Amino acid sequence: MEQLLQHLVNGLVLGGTYALLGIGLTLIFGLMNVVNFAHGEFYTLGAYAAFAALALGGVDFVVAVLAAIGAGALLGALCERVLLRPLRAESIDTTMLVMIGVWIAMQNGELLVWGGVAKSIPHPFPTAPLVLGPVSIAPLRVFVLVLAAGLIAASYLLIHRTKLGRAMRATFQDRDTAALMGVRISRIHTATFAFGSALAAAAGALLGPVFLAYPSMGDLAALKAFCVVILGGLGNLPGATLGGLLLGIAEELGAGYVSSGYRDAVGFVIIILVLLLRPSGLFAREERIG
Amino acid sequence: MIRLARGLGALLALTLPFWLANPYFLHVVIMAGIFGVLALSLNLLLGYTGQLSLGHAAFFGIGAYTSALLTLRLEWSFWLALPGAVALTALAGWLIGRLALKLRGAYFVLVTISFAGVISLVSVNWMELTNGPLGLPGVPAPELGPWSLRAKSAYYYLVLAGVALSYLVCARLVGSRIGRAFLALRENEPLAESVGVDVTHYLVLAAVVSAGLAGLAGGLYAHYTRFVSPEVFLFTYTVTMVVMVVAGGKGTLAGPLVGALLFTALPEALRLATSWQWQMLAYGVLLVLLVFFLPRGIVPALAAWRARRAS
Amino acid sequence: MLNRWVPVVLVVLLAGALLTPAGFAQAPVKIGVIQPLSGPVAASGNYVRMGAEIARDWINARGGIGGRKVELVIEDNKSDPKEAASAAEKLIVRDRVPAIMGAWGSSMTLAAMPKLEEYGVPMVVETSSAASITKRGNPWIFRISPPSEMEALGLERYVAKLGVKRADFLAVNTDWGRGAVGAFGDMLKKKGAAVGAAEFMDQAATDMNAQITKIKATGGDTLFLTTAVEQITLVMKQAQEQRLGRKIITTGGSSSPTQLIKQAGAAAEGSYHILFFMPWFPEAMPDGKLAKAFVDEWNKRGHPFEGLTEGFRGHDGIATIAEAIKAARKDEPKAIRDALWKVSLMGVNGPIRFEKDGPAGKESGQSKPSIFVVQIKDGKVALPDFLAQK
Repeated sequence: MEQLLQHLVNGLVLGGTYALLGIGLTLIFGLMNVVNFAHGEFYTLGAYAAFAALALGGVDFVVAVLAAIGAGALLGALCERVLLRPLRAESIDTTMLVMIGVWIAMQNGELLVWGGVAKSIPHPFPTAPLVLGPVSIAPLRVFVLVLAAGLIAASYLLIHRTKLGRAMRATFQDRDTAALMGVRISRIHTATFAFGSALAAAAGALLGPVFLAYPSMGDLAALKAFCVVILGGLGNLPGATLGGLLLGIAEELGAGYVSSGYRDAVGFVIIILVLLLRPSGLFAREERIG
Repeated sequence: MIRLARGLGALLALTLPFWLANPYFLHVVIMAGIFGVLALSLNLLLGYTGQLSLGHAAFFGIGAYTSALLTLRLEWSFWLALPGAVALTALAGWLIGRLALKLRGAYFVLVTISFAGVISLVSVNWMELTNGPLGLPGVPAPELGPWSLRAKSAYYYLVLAGVALSYLVCARLVGSRIGRAFLALRENEPLAESVGVDVTHYLVLAAVVSAGLAGLAGGLYAHYTRFVSPEVFLFTYTVTMVVMVVAGGKGTLAGPLVGALLFTALPEALRLATSWQWQMLAYGVLLVLLVFFLPRGIVPALAAWRARRAS
Repeated sequence: MLNRWVPVVLVVLLAGALLTPAGFAQAPVKIGVIQPLSGPVAASGNYVRMGAEIARDWINARGGIGGRKVELVIEDNKSDPKEAASAAEKLIVRDRVPAIMGAWGSSMTLAAMPKLEEYGVPMVVETSSAASITKRGNPWIFRISPPSEMEALGLERYVAKLGVKRADFLAVNTDWGRGAVGAFGDMLKKKGAAVGAAEFMDQAATDMNAQITKIKATGGDTLFLTTAVEQITLVMKQAQEQRLGRKIITTGGSSSPTQLIKQAGAAAEGSYHILFFMPWFPEAMPDGKLAKAFVDEWNKRGHPFEGLTEGFRGHDGIATIAEAIKAARKDEPKAIRDALWKVSLMGVNGPIRFEKDGPAGKESGQSKPSIFVVQIKDGKVALPDFLAQK
């Protein structure tokens, strides 16, 4: 029983990190229909930006996270403007291939700049765990969970309650009508990609201190993010959140009670089952936006 | 003109080991051939039915493991083990096709990724069968009567035969009524269905043939490197296949082969051209530039260029 | 065309070298190096490369081999067996290296091995731990790193002093991790200790809480941890979060305690580490002067101190090959192979000498490296109490 409780708490914390990874991608992949293989690299970028600001620049932790978000947004905007905009008329495979190239180039660029040695990102929280009966959890993890919830809520509000968000939804639902209504389509594309990339960078800055920063850290993160997005339904922010939590808890229980060697298989099997039984995602209300 | 180029190409391929004496270059060509079969296989799904499989390394790996295990554990001859590997991967393709046939686009992609993930974990954890992460060393080189095909030049012809067979299978399939059904499916599925194309049937067929060819490539790989480990399921292998198909020109027969040759030679050329720090970085940048200037792939770009010159 | 002239040119140069001991402009002696320089274990591969470069520069500063400079031809295997085989092929055929050092991970080494047999070129294996490497009957393999069984035997005499009564295992799910769990498990059972859970983690995994929670429930006293330093850091931090409260012993010699102190902080306190080099007290190594010189050179080059526990392998591998080439008096693969059987030198780790291992007639060489245990005490690396008192 004690063990089960600890497993559930672990799963919740892990699921929170998956949700954070998934929300940025659900915009880029779900709304814009770009199979963004470089998403994990924006996560890595966020972690390294936070490391640079904290360890080298000596700024406050919150400032470092903001710096990472800024770096992610800037590079995301640049990426969309230079690489994706000219290819917007091409098929989804073509843009996917470009993003594969960006993925490989960015990861090896990071290896060149930072070296292969993992960086530990300092954080201001005590390392002694919070103990609640049989369960213990690190204070940093609680903070990350809270901030992730905040970021997800803020993104939801931005998409559903602001003018920019309305323009985004309109653009990806019916591009021509949106254009007729005076929405500047190109700007919306750039803004959406920058926003999704900024969220990935935020995830990197928040999770970097929990784990470590190293050049290939984005690979597994991106794979999990794709799973979360599909589980939750494309473009569905609350869905991605629930999908992340579900995946985290399922993996944790699978590793705890089935076999740790098959840990990642648990997530894969759930995805296969969900897709076979509910092909449009676990929490989707409509087939697809955009 | 085209016929002349084709004839020259065939002559080149058939006589290659005689004038390309350097075994390192021959090695690169053999790897390109194995990846050529893989690219043809992926192209059948991606290029002709429009379904992207990001789990194709699973079929490659299943083929490699099956052929290696059949020769190592049951001491089958290579000539029986290879068809065995093809049959088992085709069966796996049928299973995935049946399971995922209702899914389209991103959802199909995810099922294939997950399938590959599960299979890869099985190869790591099922120690009794696969020897786990320790891999299977000592996979025998094929023998033909009294001759061993261990020598590179001999193995080259084996791979060449594999490529030719895969190409013919694809060409026959695509040129037939089935191929037209594939295209109808890709272009407009509801329309295809409304005129009586049995969508399910054709998708499963494409998946079976595609998986079988990937299994063939896996078997050829296992007996060439003579070592199989769970790394055959690496996601980078799938990514490499996608790059080859899309950059070469999806939905064309020659495209995947051109892509396979180019993207097997490129990393090796970069090995010669620059030190290790820059190789993968340059690979990524070159890939971006290629897509940027030839978004539809090399072969379609060449065809368009020829059409423009003719008019 | 050009290649055909290479042997002729070499003979002429060799003759020149014999006539003029000082040597004039001569073709360098090439040694191939295959390491994972990108991908998930890039850090370790690069440390080994740095160590190899130190060995090269030292040899050249002393006048090279028979007056000829040593040149390293370095290739990246990208942690992929296919790439390791391609790299070996390229080094042997294109660059014509007469000997190779590589290829870090066991599956990379195993994939490169058929190429060595095909072309008849010896390889000194500096890191790989899988027993099968020297048992396969590949007479071109010479290993200076210990297989897991040898490492476990090295720890045997300390089991009682470490107070291991009931041990659990957490290991990376690769040949290395699986091999270590088997070898150390057997050794502990022989010594009468109980073996509890054996849990595995993916090479790229960052969250090991599930495994730790499971291990916590077994009620053991010791956790044997086998993986790269990044995952050791994460496991230690997460074990602290969960109040695991076990004695942790890391195996495999890749643990870099200095990096653990820096990155895991208090979570690393009290842990033991099996190592093959102790850069904190070089004077305690078999050849204190050489070890000290290596540490000083490493620091002078500005390489990270935490890389020393890996970097020494690169030095020892290249030094071994250079010694063999010197003894062979020519850079010809077969002569170097024969000479490798006779080399006896002092590496940073200790004496290197090859003994026969594997099926009769086709034996591989296996050296018997020195094995050390250190402990993290008060945020510093120290000899464990039971060793320090001696």
